[in-house]
Parts: sequence; structure tokens; C-alpha cells
Amino acid sequence: MTKVVEISPTTRHEGHSKLTLKVNDQGIVERGDWLSITPVRGIEKLAIGKTMEQVPKIASRVCGICPIPHTLASIEAMEASIGCEIPTDVKLLRVILHAANRLHSHALHNILILPDFYIPGTETKINPFSKEQPLRSVAVRIFRIREIAQTIIAVAGGEAIHPSNPRVGGMYRNVSPRAKQKMADLAKEGLVLAHEQMEFMLEVIRNMQNRGFTDVAGKEIPIPRNLGYHNQGVMATAPMYGSSSLDEKPMWDFARWKDTRPWDWYMGEVTIDLEDPSYPIGGTTKVGTKANPRMEACNTVPTYDGQPVEVGPRARLATFKNFTEKGTFAQHIARQLEYPNCFYTILKCLDNLDTSGKVLADHIPQGDGSMGWAANEAPRGTDVHIARVKDGRVLWYEMLVPTTWNLPTCSRALTGAPWQIAEMVVRAYDPCVACATHMIVTDEENRIVAKKLLQW
Amino acid sequence: MVSDPYLGKYTTCISARSTDREILKKAQDGGIATTLMVYALEEGIIDGVIVAGEGDLPWKPRPFVAMSRKDILKAQKAKYNISPQISWIKEATRSFGLDKVGVTGVCCQIQAVRKAQLYPINMRDVPGKIAFVVGLFCMENFLYDSIQAIVEDHTNQSLSSVKKMRIGKGKFQVYTERGNVATAPLQATHKYGQPGCYVCLDYVSNLGDISTGSVGSPDGWSTVFVRTRVGNDIWSKAVDAGLFETKPIEEVKPGLELVMKLAKIKLDGNRKTLEERRNFGVNKALRDPYA
Repeated sequence: MTKVVEISPTTRHEGHSKLTLKVNDQGIVERGDWLSITPVRGIEKLAIGKTMEQVPKIASRVCGICPIPHTLASIEAMEASIGCEIPTDVKLLRVILHAANRLHSHALHNILILPDFYIPGTETKINPFSKEQPLRSVAVRIFRIREIAQTIIAVAGGEAIHPSNPRVGGMYRNVSPRAKQKMADLAKEGLVLAHEQMEFMLEVIRNMQNRGFTDVAGKEIPIPRNLGYHNQGVMATAPMYGSSSLDEKPMWDFARWKDTRPWDWYMGEVTIDLEDPSYPIGGTTKVGTKANPRMEACNTVPTYDGQPVEVGPRARLATFKNFTEKGTFAQHIARQLEYPNCFYTILKCLDNLDTSGKVLADHIPQGDGSMGWAANEAPRGTDVHIARVKDGRVLWYEMLVPTTWNLPTCSRALTGAPWQIAEMVVRAYDPCVACATHMIVTDEENRIVAKKLLQW
Repeated sequence: MVSDPYLGKYTTCISARSTDREILKKAQDGGIATTLMVYALEEGIIDGVIVAGEGDLPWKPRPFVAMSRKDILKAQKAKYNISPQISWIKEATRSFGLDKVGVTGVCCQIQAVRKAQLYPINMRDVPGKIAFVVGLFCMENFLYDSIQAIVEDHTNQSLSSVKKMRIGKGKFQVYTERGNVATAPLQATHKYGQPGCYVCLDYVSNLGDISTGSVGSPDGWSTVFVRTRVGNDIWSKAVDAGLFETKPIEEVKPGLELVMKLAKIKLDGNRKTLEERRNFGVNKALRDPYA
């Protein structure tokens, strides 16, 4: 008999979300919904009428882990709309910034997922804050990778969190020769650490794949071989940076995208009738509580060819490198595999960077209302911003953020998982729920949903 | 360690001048700030320093991050109008890629540095990257328009022919390239003073690692306060390296007594201004940043 269990809130990811799960007698998820319950901040609506310089700085504040993708995608959407070509050294600085952000984000995600994993060959789960070896050295290595990455972001981008250097038409400043050398030195140090960290994580993940079960709150929970499998396919626009409608051959197709309501993809009202007070730490939602993912979800559901898709490191590797594994552990593996290339990219860009090159387009058009889009391959996947700019002001603005794409896809991937490890499936997407929740319903039809929500 | 209510905390006070002829040639006084920063750069104590360089208009300073001896020397001489030094303090740690930042400035700018170190508000990385701070004595400052009025109207000189400006002995003195000297009584310049200067309670850059100024020492020499451990370390090494001629401040005229007297005039006068702000309106006050 189907029962409903709910984990709210979920932990060890960015933002606020919950899992409403229909499970069978064995506690295996039959149909799961993972939804954002982060309050909507409505960035897209409040952007309207503001200047094209200001909106990217606001969009940056969507998220403090991946502010760089939002800044860059937003700026480049404006540049695509107004038809502004940026100088080469701007592009190089932006790629350096971008790659460094991916590094710090992946390293941070290591901290978040490691407590689900075991020290290989033992029955001891990994506490990244433990003073014991080898965990202490792992933590120190992660901290150093993040410190290096954040420093490179600060130097190339002006600020590690909410970069100040990028602007419509280029950057405010090029870097000094000393700063270029500093970034190269840091990247060379980081490259060694990133290789070590990647090897360590791969060993930990492979060990997990070979385990038959994991321990959750003292109970042995079986790990299915196909944990996190789904048939939604993947979407990616580049292995590293991204694409925009200014490109000769854009890697994303505006016509294949359609924004839909949670209504079309989520469950209706259910009543929680399964509760586990021992679920660490604090138990699950009380029996008798009503939940209604259709109404409660604060995210929209962007679709590509009419279906939700998976975005992120696995999507990039599957699209561009013929990576064939899928499911939870494959996602983890793909994420670790991106480590070294970020540093190689930084070093290559630094080689090509001319520190006396110009970093601002000679001419910045003010726009005629044409639609332009830019996709940035954020740490968590494709971040597409779409804008129409006229006379320097934003007429229309849309953000399709990685975790927004992933929310419904991951929901489908929950099927077949014991509910106690549903959160492990979620974490493999490296969710950034604040990122996913920035929009407000737009068209006539959707406004009804918003009204219903407001009546609560 | 001396702790003086008017001169701040310091370990030693000396009268000094640089032994570097090239620096002395264009120095306002003893060339202390320039020599110290060049020395710190060459010794790797700093890898760049915020100085007041040449701006777009004659005698209008523009702060910039100097990373070579040549660039530091471009910032010599006092410019008696505002140079927003601290506007580069964060950027120095960003696109300039500095790890050890030097800062020069007047008293209030040194206060800003120390505040950013202790209360960094959107000043990430700044606290740990300030390596060496040299403060100048400052009685008050002017806006560019004011300095234009004083030089072009009161002393009747063209700004582009001015070689040096000085305030001393109750006069605003202007020296031209062709050797002319013109003065205006300080009394006449008072109305041009920047209003924000009248609440300042710091004369000899109390918060600098080292502070330096002309008052108290003979022409061509500077009065130097060595204040912090950082300052002491750099000063003693620089003296050992033969970069400065020094005299005990007690042996020079007019000496510390005049410094003290002027510090008293500034601080006591400005304390009174602050006091008046408390009763500026009827049953209301103007803000007091020291409250």
C-alpha cells in the first residue's frame, strides 16, 4: 500500500527545499517530488525598467555560491540583446573567473556530500570536520582549493562573492602583470591539490558504488544499483564556459525551451501517513500533515523539447565527452572529473592574457528591444538568461537556472530509491535552491496559481 | 612608549631627512614618506603603495597604486586639496594582485585604513594585506576650487607655473618655476577650508606606523614619529642602511614644542566645533561620529 513520507527541510545543500515521497511497503519511492520552498524573490519581475548595468548586479545576488554565473550570464544576455562584441582580453578574464568559481563550488560540494560517504574499506562515515587523519588533511586540502579559487576570482573579477569587475561591454579593469603571475602561481599550486582531491573523491565514490547498503540512523538501507536513474536526458551548452545568441553557432535553442508551471509536473494534495522520528536529526514531517507540491513549489519547470532535463557536470561530460554512466554516483564522478580542467583552463587563459589589452568595447549600443540570451555553464549546469534591452533599460528578463531545470528531473530520479537515501539522490545534483527560486509566475494562466498561493 | 594626548602614542620622535639626492630634489620637506615607501618596496616589505600622483589638472592630486620607485617619486610634494587615497585600498588587493599594501595619506585617511582593518565592511582581504602605513601631519585641507581661488586670486599666481606650495609661519606660500614667491595670509584662506576638517581630532597622524611632517624641524627636514612595531622595524633598518640623516628632536628648533602648540590649536578648536554641533538646532543636534 502506498504511503506518503516527507523530509522537510532537506539539508547539506544550498537553499530551502523538501521531499514529498510516495513509498511502497518496502519504503521504496514510487513517485517522489523534490520542490523548492524558498520564498520567491522575484528578480525577473523587479528587473523590468531597470538599467542593463544594474540588473546583472542584482541577478548576482540570487546566489552567493554561484554569483559568477549569474553575473556573467546576465551581462552577456544584455550584450546579446544590444549586439555588443567584447574584446578578447575580457573574454579571457571572464573565463578565468568562471573556471575559478567552478572549482570553489565543487570543492564546497565535497564538504556537503562527504558525510554520506565512507572512508574506503571501513564502516566509518566521513566527518569532514573531524580532527582525525586522514580526514583532517582532506578538509585542509578542500579549504586550500577554495581559498585559491576565491583568490583568483577576487583578482580577476574584483570580488569573490558578487564579482564587481564585469560590466556590460567588458570589464572595469584589466589586471597587473603581478596579478597575472599571482593567479598563475596559485593555479599551479591548486592543480596539484585538485588532482589529489579528485583521486580521493573518486576512490570514495567507487567504494560507495561497491557497497550494498549504507547506514542511516542505525538502520541498514540497501543501495540500489540504479540509484538516481532517470530517462529525461541531458542538456549542456559547453564543456567549460557557455554560449550566447551572438555566437556563430549557438549551443542552446531558444525555440526548444518552454516554461511550464509546477502544476503540470508535481503531485496534488497528499496527506503524510508515514513518519520516522529517528530520521537524522529531528525526524520527518508529522503524520496527518497535508502537503501539496503543485501549490507549494516555489520553482517553475523549464522544459526542453517538452520535458524536464538534467543539467550539470554529468550533462556536460555526456554531451561533449561521451560520458556514458548515469545515476547518482555517475553525477558525483562527473563532478570530480571537472576539477583539473578548471585549472588547466585558467593557466591557458593566463598564457593568452595581455595585461595591457583593452577591456571595454569601444561602442556599447543601447538596444532596440531585440531578444538576446546567454548560457553560462554554472557549476550546477546550464544557466540561461534571456533579455530584451531597449534604450539601455531592461524590457523583459528571464532566468533559467540549473537547479530549476534539475528539480523536476531529480524528482523523477527518486523512483526506486529507499526513501531514507532520497536526500543522497538530491545531493548528487548539487542543488542550489536559492538559485532555482528567483522567479515569479508571468503569464495569465499562471497568475491563477500565484493567487491561490497568496490566499494561504 | 610615549602616550601624549595631542601627539598620540609613539616610541621615538626625531628630526630627519633623506640621504637620497634624487628624492630630496623634489621633496616637500625631508623626503621621508617617499624614501620610506621606496625602501619598503625595494626590501619587499610592500609590493605596492597608494600615493597621491598627478591628476588631470595642475596641482590636483589623483591617487594611484604605485608599484615602482619611479611611480612613487611621481607623487612627491604636498598638494593642498583632496586626494581620495582610500578609494584604491580594496582594488590594490584585487586587479593589482598585491599581497602587502602600503598606504600614504593624511590623518583621516590613516584612520580609514585602521577602521577597515578592524571593521572591514565590504572590505574583504583588506585587513590582512595592509603592510605599512605612513601618515602625514595635517592641519586642514581644501577643495580644488578653493586652492584655485587661493593661488590664482589671493596670491595672484597661475597654477600651472607653481613649483611648490607650503603653509607655514602664518602664510600660504606659493613658489613658481621662475623663482617668484607669493604669499597670502592664512587668515584669508579660512573660509576655503573643507568643512569636514573642522571636526578632526588628529594632527600628527596618530594611527600611522610612522608619521611625518614639516612642523618642528628646520626647512628641508621633517619631524618623524615612529609609532608601531611595524614602523619601528622599518625605521631602524632604514636608518641602519644609511637612508636618513637624523637628529634628536630635542636638539632642533623649533622642536616638539611647536608641534605640540599647533596640535593643541587644532584639537581644542575642533573639539569646540564638535561641542557646538550638539546644540546646533533648537532642541536638536547634528550628528557626532565620535559619540
